[in-house]
Amino acid sequence: MLVYTAKRLLTLIPTLLAASILVFLFIHLIPGDPAAILLGDSATPEEIAALSAEMGFDQPLPVQYALWLGNVLQGDFGTSVFFGEPVLTVIGRGAETSILLATMTMVWIVVFGIPIGVLSASYQGRWVDQVTSGGAMLFASVPTFWLGLYLILIFSVWLGWFPSSGFPSLADEGGVTNLRYLLLPSLTLAAPNAALIVRLVRASMLDVAREDHVRTARAKGLHPATVAVRHIFRNALIAVAAAFGFTFAALVSEAVVTETVFSLPGIGRLVVQSILRRDYPVIQGVILVIVVLYTLINLAVDLAYARLDPRVSLK
Amino acid sequence: MALLDVEDLQIAVAKGRVLLPVVQGVSFSVDADETLGIVGESGCGKSLTSLAIMGLLDGTAVRITGGTIRFDGMDLGALSPKERRAIMGNRMAMIFQEPMTSLNPVYRVGDQIVENLRQHRDLSKRAARDRAVELLDLVRIPDPGQRIDSFPHQMSGGQRQRVMIAMALSCDPKLLIADEPTTALDVTVQKEVLDLMADLQKRMGTAIVLISHDLGVIAETCDKVSVMYRGRVAEAAPTAELFARLAHPYTRGLLNSIPVVDHDVEWLEAIPGRVPTIDEQLTGCAFHPRCPLATDLCSQTAPDPLQIAPAHRVECHFAEKVVT
Amino acid sequence: MKLAAYIRSTFGGRKLATIGLIWLCLVALAAIFAPLLAPFDPYEIDPVARLSEPGLPYLFGTDHFGRDTFSRAIYGARMTVVIGAGSVIVALLTGGLIGMLSAYFPRLGAVLMRGIDVLMAFPALLLALVLITLLERSVVNTVLVIGIVYATTTARILFGMTLKLKGEVFVDAAICSGAGHGSILFRHILPNLISPLLVQASFIFAFAQLQAAALDFLGLGLPAEVASWGNMLSEERIYVTRAPWLLIYPGVLIILSVFSMNLVGDAMRDAIDPRFKDDIAGV
Repeated sequence: MLVYTAKRLLTLIPTLLAASILVFLFIHLIPGDPAAILLGDSATPEEIAALSAEMGFDQPLPVQYALWLGNVLQGDFGTSVFFGEPVLTVIGRGAETSILLATMTMVWIVVFGIPIGVLSASYQGRWVDQVTSGGAMLFASVPTFWLGLYLILIFSVWLGWFPSSGFPSLADEGGVTNLRYLLLPSLTLAAPNAALIVRLVRASMLDVAREDHVRTARAKGLHPATVAVRHIFRNALIAVAAAFGFTFAALVSEAVVTETVFSLPGIGRLVVQSILRRDYPVIQGVILVIVVLYTLINLAVDLAYARLDPRVSLK
Repeated sequence: MALLDVEDLQIAVAKGRVLLPVVQGVSFSVDADETLGIVGESGCGKSLTSLAIMGLLDGTAVRITGGTIRFDGMDLGALSPKERRAIMGNRMAMIFQEPMTSLNPVYRVGDQIVENLRQHRDLSKRAARDRAVELLDLVRIPDPGQRIDSFPHQMSGGQRQRVMIAMALSCDPKLLIADEPTTALDVTVQKEVLDLMADLQKRMGTAIVLISHDLGVIAETCDKVSVMYRGRVAEAAPTAELFARLAHPYTRGLLNSIPVVDHDVEWLEAIPGRVPTIDEQLTGCAFHPRCPLATDLCSQTAPDPLQIAPAHRVECHFAEKVVT
Repeated sequence: MKLAAYIRSTFGGRKLATIGLIWLCLVALAAIFAPLLAPFDPYEIDPVARLSEPGLPYLFGTDHFGRDTFSRAIYGARMTVVIGAGSVIVALLTGGLIGMLSAYFPRLGAVLMRGIDVLMAFPALLLALVLITLLERSVVNTVLVIGIVYATTTARILFGMTLKLKGEVFVDAAICSGAGHGSILFRHILPNLISPLLVQASFIFAFAQLQAAALDFLGLGLPAEVASWGNMLSEERIYVTRAPWLLIYPGVLIILSVFSMNLVGDAMRDAIDPRFKDDIAGV
């Protein structure tokens, strides 16, 4: 297993490097002088020239890339045009919010998605299944921000049960109860993804139930519930696990929107604001962080998948 | 009294609101230490019959619509699901056609045998595991102490089928149903598996119901044979008797279509026509559209079972003619 | 007629999917005949009637400029069709071609699919955001960006399916009879891919709507003046407390359209060749 992990990590490196090249080229693909872009609209020609020399923009691209990569590996992602602080610091501030949001969302997805999917498959064809399948497809069709807006309207404005925006840190006054700020956002983010998991679990369980080894399990005289859990669900998990990487990607993408709707000080909102503010170093930094994170998560999913399915050769 | 007594079994498939009969009155019996062969083409209902006996039709679109199945003195139809489950894998066991997919790929082979053992016997994990190793040895899996921890995909088809046999026999069942156990295996492996089954039968006195479309396999291993066609038993007799004095045109057709190896032939004989699908309803004898001896009588009236010798039953208007 | 038979076999007995299909036809009709169906010009302002409730003559009420929501909704159908169809075309043409060619020419494929892997290291919306940042906001660019985002998954899926087909006997037979690469690809392999491609197309169409709406909401999608359902939601969101109905109509329209497309895609997926079912499992 360890060898397999090491090997997979090795194959990841070229992909990450290639992705980093794309991220690096990002600044240079924007029309205009890179130094002028980095400094923003209020820069003087002298400042632009100075930065150009300092950043080595007059050097050939491969050299610049090497310099940039070197900096990145040491933790220097550049300086935010808007904040004037190191990019990594800016990103770090949003990390707490985004990580907590993502975690809570995953909890909802697993807690709601999997059991409802199992229920749906177990009562296939009956009204429970029709309602949950239809409902799942419906929720998967809802734009996240629309759901978020209406949840705010109902639960914050009309009922006043939950706050509608912002998120004080857990370190601040209120401590863990501050998580209630993340309740509505995490539910909003979880809804369409949980719906997809419901459909996946259902489809996967129905597929597995048709397989020969389930008939063998029944022929052993096992209780139907035992067959369902040990032989159907356990095997269905393989397909579900494989989908979690995709789920994470969807989470990261949609968190951008959700954080905007609920004004959460997270990395997603940071990206959008940076785009609108033309704070390119921050955009670059966030993209890089997310790409690395996403790649690592996919690796973790692959490893989990290999653990769940002994047939996957650990060569 | 026979160990297994199937009387006038009827099975139908629910298609929408309609019930289409698939098995229409099948009867046979098996004693301990005996091997009954059920032979027929695809679609004749032999697999469904075996599933019905085993109790694996519950919860599917296929159901038993008539007849009785008596096993070890009990009427299986009168048992509760819980009582039924107590028998499955315990007093009665089954192995299937596709060894490649009949074992759960995510669990080790030994764990799957242990699961069967601990379901029906009060054994500790250790004791069950030891017993599983013994069983693997019994079915001639080399190095059973190691192989017990193998995953199914690490074994060949023949080995997987032997694991299935080990699992089926783990609780010393009185009856083993084998649905085409060797069809998916190479010929050499086939022989090994069949020999193994015969050997185990001698040792443990298990009754075996062997289902196959291969007359050769049936001839080698069975004490008596029931030939099924389209949901009915066309002919039933002890094996030697059947091959010596067959009395049904279908049986003759089956026998004739086996290629011979001792002399040259120009043409391979086949039974003309095809097996009708379950939606197609027929009057009279089910075989008449394809039968060389068919007359108007055959298309109008279904033949009643005819006892032409002590253990030899046949359903054909012209049975006497076929024998001679 | 082949089309009629296909529709009947795919949708027969599936009430919801058929309703979905009908809804989509209505959307398409609204898109085509918008000028005839809309009672008002979608850009026409009536300052007096700002934020008025649904009623006559403004069936869905008016927005904060006093524009008729109903008319804007009808014209919004155009954008829905354009974005959906446009993204599908871009995704299938680029991604589909890359996937097919990669499977068919393994050495080329090794390079191309690596490239696809790299692109897939970027989560969907993020990739869209990056691309949008480099381009200015326009309808064409939005379609292009969303299309490219989905071209990656399409390429992977087509790669897998073409690989499967390539290994089938009929390809060997075609080679033996002297068929050239182009002929094999387009006359033998491609026809077998039509129905899974249609399924993929329907899911892309559905997800493209959600992506476009999200981009519009963030202010990074279609230009603000364009009447699209996503833009309507984006512009009116600050008025949600004063005029909640303003967000219901475009939202419901989006939901219905995406839902319908999902239903249709599901129905078509159930009808395709079983050997491709696993490939299409996720978009």
